[in-house]
Amino acid sequence: MGESDNQLLDRYSAGDEAAFEELVRRHQKIIYNLAHRMLDNHADAADLAQRTFVQAFLHYQSFKRESSFRTWLYQICINLCRNAIRDRAYRTHEDIHEMELADPQDTFADVAGTELKDRMGRVIHTLPARQKEALVLRVYHDHAFEEIGTIMRCSEGAAKANYHHAVDHLRRALASNEE
Amino acid sequence: MTCHEIKNVTVPYLELDLEPSRIRDITLHLDGCAECRVDMEAVRQVLVRVKGLAVPDPGDRFWDDFPDRVRLELARERPPIPFSLRLWKGRAVWPMALAATMLFVVGAWSLAGLFDRGSPPSQSSTVAQTPTVAEYDLPQLDEAEWQQFWDEDPDLALADMAAGLDRQAVDRLFKDI
Repeated sequence: MGESDNQLLDRYSAGDEAAFEELVRRHQKIIYNLAHRMLDNHADAADLAQRTFVQAFLHYQSFKRESSFRTWLYQICINLCRNAIRDRAYRTHEDIHEMELADPQDTFADVAGTELKDRMGRVIHTLPARQKEALVLRVYHDHAFEEIGTIMRCSEGAAKANYHHAVDHLRRALASNEE
Repeated sequence: MTCHEIKNVTVPYLELDLEPSRIRDITLHLDGCAECRVDMEAVRQVLVRVKGLAVPDPGDRFWDDFPDRVRLELARERPPIPFSLRLWKGRAVWPMALAATMLFVVGAWSLAGLFDRGSPPSQSSTVAQTPTVAEYDLPQLDEAEWQQFWDEDPDLALADMAAGLDRQAVDRLFKDI
């Protein structure tokens, strides 16, 4: 059986470069996947996944080991995603609240005629950040709500509420489009 | 249960994230309410479609290079280590320690040589090369020069003799006093 993340982390702190490589390889796909689901393009996702690991290894001494190393990576990635989404909103001069409250029908009017998957992807992209985080962590990463709460630094109840709102948002958007 | 209550629990119902008794109540309600069944099916469809969205794989090369890119970025982001600390990190430690030790030994040996210049020779060399008292006492002058020096200024000649004496010779000269 392979070494645990914490054992690898101990080896890394002792200067073992092979442990660093093993830790990155072990989690790179799942962190890239999360970043891609949040940012919706390869370039930003690759950059953000890289920054997630850089932050993790720069500050690994502050990792208390109360959660798993993977959960800690998720937390860092989610925080960086929030900043990236906020920066993107500033760059495009979009009001993030307008984006969150956008009428689903307007969103669908823009993407009418495209494939269902594209539409769904776009609607997910318009979700408020915290709803999107809860949805992605639940649906694509199969986390329990308790763990989603840990990653999002909120209560389990708040994580559940965000997830339910996200699904409801998508259902309404899809229904409006199909009418 | 009312239709309004059902709307609030569609997602946990589909994910079986409710008490069994609640799930049973909802199922009973759905059996008799077509409108709620439609809503429930819509939510189920959303979850199925969302789940079906895949992230394109960037390819093996991307994954192979990824750790190296992280390593490079990490090196760039780390605050620079002061030179004095850098010397103590990595492979330079042992050669540096060895060189420092050698320098210390050579330096100490040289300094010891400087301070020991007037110290007495060791016991063994004393036995082999002990000069006579006369050899110690006489300055390096021949007989005629010495006589002339003494005649000119006896005090200066005595002072010159005293300056040439080392501690051992003085001890020997005054041992009986």
